[in-house]
Order: sequence, then structure tokens, then C-alpha cells
Amino acid sequence: MVEFNAKKVAVLHQHLHSHLPSESALRVKALETLLVEKGLINSASIDAWIEAYTEDIGPKRGAHVVAKAWNDADFRQRLVQDGSSAIDELGYLGNATGHLKVIENTESVHNLVVCTLCSCYPFSILGIAPAWYKAAAYRSRAVRDPRGVLAEFGVQISNDVEVRVWDSTAELRYLVLPQRPRNTEALSEDELASLVTRNSMIGTDRDLVKKDAVKA
Amino acid sequence: MDGIHDLGGKHGYGAIDVDEMDLYKIGEAFNHDWEAREWGISRCARTPNINIDWWRHCRELITPVDYLSRPYFDTWVQTDFATYVDGGFFTVEEVCSGHSNLGSNPLDEAPPKPMSKAEAVIADRQNAYRFDKKINQLPFFSIGDQVITNPHGHCGHTRLPQYARNRVGKIHALNGAHVFPDLSSQGLESHQHLYSVVFEIGDLWPDSNNKHDKVFLDLWETYLSIND
Repeated sequence: MVEFNAKKVAVLHQHLHSHLPSESALRVKALETLLVEKGLINSASIDAWIEAYTEDIGPKRGAHVVAKAWNDADFRQRLVQDGSSAIDELGYLGNATGHLKVIENTESVHNLVVCTLCSCYPFSILGIAPAWYKAAAYRSRAVRDPRGVLAEFGVQISNDVEVRVWDSTAELRYLVLPQRPRNTEALSEDELASLVTRNSMIGTDRDLVKKDAVKA
Repeated sequence: MDGIHDLGGKHGYGAIDVDEMDLYKIGEAFNHDWEAREWGISRCARTPNINIDWWRHCRELITPVDYLSRPYFDTWVQTDFATYVDGGFFTVEEVCSGHSNLGSNPLDEAPPKPMSKAEAVIADRQNAYRFDKKINQLPFFSIGDQVITNPHGHCGHTRLPQYARNRVGKIHALNGAHVFPDLSSQGLESHQHLYSVVFEIGDLWPDSNNKHDKVFLDLWETYLSIND
């Protein structure tokens, strides 16, 4: 039934360019209406998925994974060895994390994740990707001028630190494990998790010691 | 395909919106309701019998002006329309009018029952798809091998970006055999060894200032040859 006909699809896109309403909201409404009318979807389930990805599934999960890795050396080892099974221990395995690789930042290494070909992202632990991650400016420059990209995010990397960029070209997904901030030995796992920014798990943030965070 | 989607290393796309707010900090995930609707649609319905590689290819085939100028999730909507039309579920006329002509269920099944949020969270766990499989063939390359990537692409879907073609790198890790996207996107499932390959940034971009930085790509066996 599926034709896998690229030529037909290219022509169809030209057609859609001229004939679809220009407002995105109307386009989505048309798609949902058609799917409902054809009995392929239930609108209440769409609501459920939106709630799941707003309230339950998001970067809080990733921050919990990072905090636990800082606090628990055995977990950290399992996480770096096999990211997918380690996050499954916390109930966080899911969409796009079936092959999760966790890459560690150190004093001498900084990691940065991108998907130059589309916008691959470890949804079940980071939720919906920020718009910049999916935009042409980031996707084009991250592999060519990573230090320039990092500087734009306010992250200065000294010359003795090696920058490693991970272009997500297959079904492996990457989570950066940022370095634990100094003087946080007394903090609980929850308090540690609150120091972890979404960007630090993508690699566009590095130094998690923040003035306001130290107070906590 | 050498399409507009293959953005690595291209110039001229301007500044990154680094001040964009992390919506999750205020308990939100989406900038607009319509984006949330499209996300929800993508999670609970996908064209039957397609795979992620064909869906990605259909997104790459969006006319370049739309690919670059339409909002991100809008390109998902357009991709969904394309896969439903290609799969025979929608006609072009239905897509343009936004209504079904038939009113019948093309799958000939009862419409899906509504899901709760808790069920969606559980379903997300079940969506941890794996793409690897044990194959009889042993990996051709070993860690540390110096390899060179293919010099050319082809008109179909492929995951060897233009910027990394005809470049010398080193095998960093073996990841088992994974579904090969170039064929999967044509409806043909086969598995090939997948390698993480590391490139010196100076070998990719001779104009780079920090030549010891590295770029890692996950590449299939037939994208690579031994560099003699």
C-alpha cells in the first residue's frame, strides 16, 4: 500500500506549497480533522500525549539522571556503559532512547550534541527540543565552529580543553553528563538535579556553578 | 539526497536564538497550541506500514523554500500529509480541503479508544524502539582503523552528510548492526554494522582554528572504506 515513491512525494510537496492554508494552526487542524474523520485517531489521546510531554516527560528526567550519576558511582558506571538500561532503572526509557549514549564532560573534554540532518533528540529524557536546536543556525554551525557556537551561548572553552561534537546521524542518541559543580557535597539528589540545566545536557552550557545555585 | 536538509557546515544562517526561554521552567513544553497538537498527533498516529527513514525522507523532500521558512512542527504536518497520501489514506483533494470525502475508516477497524495521560506515559516507555539486530556477518572494521568515507551521495535518503564525504576518520566504536536507512527508506529492511567514526575537525574544515577538536558521526559500513 505504501509506495515509497519519492518522486510522487516531491511533486506532492510542490502542490501542498501552493494549496495548503498558510497558517500553521489551520494546517494542523486539517490534519487532525482528517485523521478523526477517517477513524485513525482519537482527539482525547492527542490531549493525553500533550499533557504527558508537558507534565511528566521532560528535562527534569535528564536532570535526575545526571544528579544520580553524580551521587552514585555505580549508577554512573552503568549509565556510561549502557545508557538505555541505566535510565530504564528510573522508568525513563522511551521515545528515542532505545540506544542512548551518555558522554562525560571532564576538565579536559567538552561535549556538544547536534543533528545536522534533521533534529534527532532523546525525547524521553529531555522532552521537546528547544527551537534553536532544530533551527538551521545551530545545525549548520555546530560541526564547523563549535567554539563559536558555545561562545554565542556564553560558554568560553579554553584552548587546552578538547571539544567533541556528536552529530546524531543514526539511531543512537546522546546525553551529555556535565561535571558536578564544586562545593555540592552536602546537597541532596533533588537539590543537585535543580542545578542541572537543559542546555548542559545538550552541551551548550558547561559551568553549572551559578551564584544563585550556591545559596541552595 | 543532496537536499536543503543537509545543513552541516553551511554558512549564512545567522545567529542562534540563545535567549530562547526553557519553557519547561514555567511548566510548559510548547510555544503554540498547534505545535502541541502536531506533537500529540505524531505520538498517537503514524501512517501504517511506514518507517522512520521514509518519514525522514518525506520531510527532506519538502520544497527548499518551505523547509527553511515554515515553522519546525509545520514541516512535520506537511510530512504527515505526504506519507498519508503516499500510503493511500488521504487524497490530495482531501488534504487541501481539510475534510474526508469518504467518511469511512480506511483501516476497516474500530476507531482508537481515548488514552489517558498515564496511558500515554506508559506507551512512551514502549516506544523505546531498537534498531539493531544480530547478523551473521562480522564487522569489517575494528576500533582504531583509519577509514575514508564515500566521495558521493545518491538521490535517495542517506545519513552520510555532505560535509563528511571523502574524509579520513578513525573507527571510535562498534555499535552492532543497525537498520540501514538508505534501503529502509525504500521499504527494504536490511542491517549493517554501524560505527562511531571520529574526525579531526581540521580534516573536515581546513579553515578551522582549533584543529584538535573532534567531530563524531555514526556511519554504516558501506559508507566507509579502509584508507590505505
